[in-house]
Formats: sequence, structure tokens, C-alpha cells
Amino acid sequence: MTGGWVLVDDLDARPGSPLDAAGQMAADLAMLDTVAAGGPPSLRIYQWSPPALSLGRFQPDDDVDHAACAARGVEVVRRPTGGRALLHGGDVTYAAAFPQPPGDTGRVDAIYEWLAGGLIAGLALLGVEAAVARNEGPAGPVCFAGQQGADLRVGERKLCGSAQVRRGGAVLQHGSVLLARLPFDELDLVHARPGDLPIDEARARLRAATVTLEELGAPVQPRRVAEALVEGCSRALDLQFTSRVVSSGT
Amino acid sequence: MNLPEELRYSAEHEWVAVEGVRARIGITDFAQDQLGDVVYVELPTVGANVLAHASCAEVESTKSVSEIFAPVSGTVVEVNDALGDAPEQVNGDPYGAGWIFVVEMADAAEVDALLDAAAYRALVEG
Repeated sequence: MTGGWVLVDDLDARPGSPLDAAGQMAADLAMLDTVAAGGPPSLRIYQWSPPALSLGRFQPDDDVDHAACAARGVEVVRRPTGGRALLHGGDVTYAAAFPQPPGDTGRVDAIYEWLAGGLIAGLALLGVEAAVARNEGPAGPVCFAGQQGADLRVGERKLCGSAQVRRGGAVLQHGSVLLARLPFDELDLVHARPGDLPIDEARARLRAATVTLEELGAPVQPRRVAEALVEGCSRALDLQFTSRVVSSGT
Repeated sequence: MNLPEELRYSAEHEWVAVEGVRARIGITDFAQDQLGDVVYVELPTVGANVLAHASCAEVESTKSVSEIFAPVSGTVVEVNDALGDAPEQVNGDPYGAGWIFVVEMADAAEVDALLDAAAYRALVEG
């Protein structure tokens, strides 16, 4: 699984590019389908512009306050992967597609742990000491409000959330590393549910449960963060990148 | 790994219990262990026609979505609605309360092409 990887560098895709939120998910799925069809594994790095709220594959659509999203210029897109709502725009996102390893190394949690090794090594290059999060079980409608073994934390606070989809013998895992906070968060974009905390209290808890590279005093330049993540995966996972491309914007 | 001898198995990690012309289907103990805690099962639709080895349902576990394949062709005649409230049954009792759907088989001979417990064990243990 370590040889012949393609690095898809989409970091500089900007407004007006074909890669709107739906395009980003289509590009990730295209990587998965390529691997399922026998193509090479790939690692893609990108950002979202304009901001987007991505929903988990089976998350109810009525979790989303579409009017609030529209008012803030936030696109709404459904991920092919599991998990809950995640606001993109202040993050760097990675997506890795590769054949599902055999036996125990192909377990969902084993793959999270394997890729975490690369991400943790990359974050260490930025002076950040991250660790795999504890599994708190299923969360509410907002991804970053809870931690699972798929995620990375610094201290007790979540810095990176990831999710997977498996299809045709291939795995796609993508995840989001928080660089800095936007002027709004997921709680402004999802509907409150009966019994939820008052929004100010919920927001205080969300902020306390999460941390950004900016708040850690680490570099936040997307290019530098992306290069660190790629280098971390290359070193810790022994990924050999044999080509570097830019997505054509599927 | 629990592999009941009376069941047949697919290479995509489903089990089949033949009940006359019907096949009760779920995912294997190996598969549920690979997935981890199941939090949601997207069931097929009753009345839908399914093709052997084609995707017909999905399962979510630990933020991971995986396909469930039909081991045999036919018409879905029953689904396990109880998984809506208790998807963890797929982990806790994969061959019992964790069953997922029942197919009325179009060609019962397709069962013969599935694996027995020993062959499936050999497949997953490499």
C-alpha cells in the first residue's frame, strides 16, 4: 500500500474553479472509484471556498438550517462518508484513497490509526503534539462537538476530524485539520433540537472541545500545513509519491 | 470468529440462511468486527429487485460507510426494521437479531456458488 501514490495538489483552487463543494466531493469519490477499478492510491489536499457545511452520508437533511447557510454564503453538501455536520473554510482537508488492506489491518479503526500516524507526524513538523482521540460514541448533529477514534486531539481538544467510505475493495478517508475559526460556526447553521443547550452555552462547549492551529500558536499558512501533512504521511507511512497532479475538477 | 456451519457465505462478507425459496441475509461476524460499532443501517426497500454481488444496502460505523451486497438475486420481501432503533444488533447478534433483509430467490442454484463455513474461514484468514 505504500508505493506509487499520486499526490493531488488542489490547495490553490479558488473561487470560480470547478471545485465547489459538490465538486470537492466528486473529486474525492473519483479517487475512490479509481482505486476500486485498479488504479493507483492517491492523497489529495484542498481547501473549501466559499465555506461549506458537509453532512454525513446518512445525516438527516433537516438538521440543516438552509436559510442560515444561504445568508452566510455557505454551501451545503453531503459527504459520501459517515459522521456529522462539519463546517469547512477555516481548515485544510486531506483525502486518501487506497485499496482496503486484508485481515485485521483492514478494520475501520485500524485504518484510522494507520493514517493518524501520518497526520500526527505531519502536525509534529508544525510543532503540534497530537494524539488519537478517545471514542465517545455517536455524537449529536455537529461533528466537532464529539470525539471518536477517527479523530485527533491536542490535549483534550479536537483538532482534526476524519471519516471513511468503503466501496469495491477500496477505502476513501478524508478529514479536516482546523487552521483558524470562521466568524460563525456549525451551531449557526444547524437547527437546535428539543432539549439542546442554549446556543451560547452550546457554543462555549463546542469552542472548549475544539482547538485550531492558530490557537496553538502553530503555522496556519495552508501551503505550509499541507506540505507538513504530506511530508508526515510520506515519512511515517512510507508513502512514495510518484506523481503530483492538480485535479481537473470533476 | 463465529461461523455457523449451516450458513453459506459470500466473498463480500454476507451470510445466507436458506429458508425454502427465501434467503435471510446479514453480515458476518468477521465483517461486523471489521466495521466496529454499527450506528446506522440503510435497509433495502421491500419489493426491490436485487442482483447477486451488487450493492443493495449500506451500514455506518465509526464515521465509516460500507456497502452491503446481495449474495443472491431476487426480490426483497422483508427487512429488519428493528435495526432502526437498535443497529448495534448487527454487532451483538450478527446471525440472529442482526439479520438485515430477506430475498425471495430468483434462482436458488445461486446458493450453490456461495462459500461454506470452511471456505469462508480460509478466505478471511488468508
